[in-house]
Amino acid sequence: MSLEMKHVFYTYQEGSPTESHALQDICLNINEGEFLGIVGHTGSGKSTLIQHLNGLLKPTKGEVLIDGININQKEAKAKRKEVRLKVGLVFQYPEYQLFEETVEQDIGFGPRNLGLSDTEVQERVKEAMALLKLDYKTLRKQSPFDLSGGQKRKVAIAGVLAMKPKYLVLDEPTAGLDPRGREEFLEQLAVLHRQGMTIIMVSHSMDDMAKYAQRMIVMDHGQIQLQGTPQDIFSQPEQLQQIGLDVPSLSRLLLRLKQRGLDVRTDLFDIEAVKTEILRAMAAREGKLTC
Amino acid sequence: MLKDITIGQYLSGDSFLHKLDPRTKIIAVILYMVSLFIVNNFWGLGAMLVLSLAVVLISRIPLRFFFRGIKAIVFIVLLTVALQMFMTPGEPLWELGILKITKEGIRQAVFMGTRLILLVSVTSILTLTTTPISLTDGIETLLKPFQKIGVPAHELAMMMTIALRFIPTLIEETDKIMKAQSARGADFESGNLMERAKAMIPLLVPLFLNAIKRADELALAMEARCYHGGDGRTRLKALQYGRRDAVAGVFCLCMAAGAFLTRLL
Ligand SMILES: Nc1ncnc2c1ncn2[C@@H]1O[C@H](COP(=O)(O)OP(=O)(O)OP(=O)(O)O)[C@@H](O)[C@H]1O
Ligand SMILES: [Mg+2]
Repeated sequence: MSLEMKHVFYTYQEGSPTESHALQDICLNINEGEFLGIVGHTGSGKSTLIQHLNGLLKPTKGEVLIDGININQKEAKAKRKEVRLKVGLVFQYPEYQLFEETVEQDIGFGPRNLGLSDTEVQERVKEAMALLKLDYKTLRKQSPFDLSGGQKRKVAIAGVLAMKPKYLVLDEPTAGLDPRGREEFLEQLAVLHRQGMTIIMVSHSMDDMAKYAQRMIVMDHGQIQLQGTPQDIFSQPEQLQQIGLDVPSLSRLLLRLKQRGLDVRTDLFDIEAVKTEILRAMAAREGKLTC
Repeated sequence: MLKDITIGQYLSGDSFLHKLDPRTKIIAVILYMVSLFIVNNFWGLGAMLVLSLAVVLISRIPLRFFFRGIKAIVFIVLLTVALQMFMTPGEPLWELGILKITKEGIRQAVFMGTRLILLVSVTSILTLTTTPISLTDGIETLLKPFQKIGVPAHELAMMMTIALRFIPTLIEETDKIMKAQSARGADFESGNLMERAKAMIPLLVPLFLNAIKRADELALAMEARCYHGGDGRTRLKALQYGRRDAVAGVFCLCMAAGAFLTRLL
């Protein structure tokens, strides 16, 4: 079972003078259980791509298959809901979707649409709030509009998590969170991933990508320019820089050291591993010098 | 469907109509409307039809924009035509129970239907060839003389500018919220009337809240830049009549006079 895009094209405002080709010939296969990272500069088509993954946008040309269901076909209309429930989509700035009187009701909106019983809905809400470190007791009766920006963001994300989707797609979920909240949130995502959820995340942070993604795609002008493991991608810093992107800060450090003549590996992203590597390389050089 | 709304849409170009002064265009549209309702025989209506087609061609706007505008009001046109056809008293042509079609009815229906379609097409030329900013500038200057009798010309124009500016934003936002709620399993497309009305709540609440918040922020931003109404404000681009405005003006006066004359026929 997988999400598949075959030669997908998407054009906004087709036929008008303002039309823009947001996606061009995208071929992508996302397997169950993966953690896929999507990067690309502003306007490269990331948000457009992920909206195809649950049928909110239909390709202008090409096919999208969600666990084998072709979202283009007529009979997919009956399965539209099924598709939407399989793939949970957290939008860029999801706090715009809040509308209920209390946090609890808002997070429960999705599960209620699934037709779950009241106790089940409550269970789901509790679980989702716990995942995002939102305190159920103090927040449940509050109005979502009285929360801070970051809390709103978390409530909105909890609203999608509470539906327990098989595939979770997130569009820049950490933008606007403080460093600690961001770290905690990503750790929780990693936990969900280990429990078997497929995660697809759009992010501008190469550091996060290096740390969490198993596979990455790099978008540029509506096309997939590079794809592979973070190691593969970040070992091509020139290509990334050409399309206006950067490598993670640790890779940048290692690359600079290498430029200055220190013989280090440049494919490490974990701070501990990098530290050991630098110490090793320095020790090796000292050794050479003393010989 | 939301994308079909053409009100306030502007299409850049450099046709004769694009270059006209907005004041000329506004007055022309008013004269056109008056003429359209003055003519009361088929000769006059035919002439107006030909004239409107000519204006459409001069504007060099693709025809599909007009069709889209007409599609949006197709329901109102059909309703008007039906009402005129069945409700006008006169010499019956066809009868079934209480329904009857009269000769006068058909005449009225054709007239009203054509008038509505022409009206919408020609007014949409006004917005399609005039940027919202120059449109409101035009309205403001035209309303200036009425300031003496208490018409808040500048404030009205500013309100219009802001409203026009935010129509596309609101449409975009509706689209965005609709998608976000659909992703949470909301269903906007099925169910009976009650269910559908209820399904609108998750859409309308965020939409209104955002609009209010945005209005607040806008007011603050305007104040921060020392906006204090129209008194003593100068313009970077002052409106100026040119020779083509004279041509268009004379032409419109001829049209209105001609419309009067067809009545005498
Ligand atoms: N609703 C829309 N109508 C018209 N054009 C659009 C619309 N949404 C996006 N586009 C265009 O499609 C292209 C891709 O946009 P998209 O939102 O997918 O970019 P993105 O990679 O998500 O960027 P960001 O990093 O800023 O979120 C852009 O050129 C944009 O102008
Ligand atoms: Mg985006």
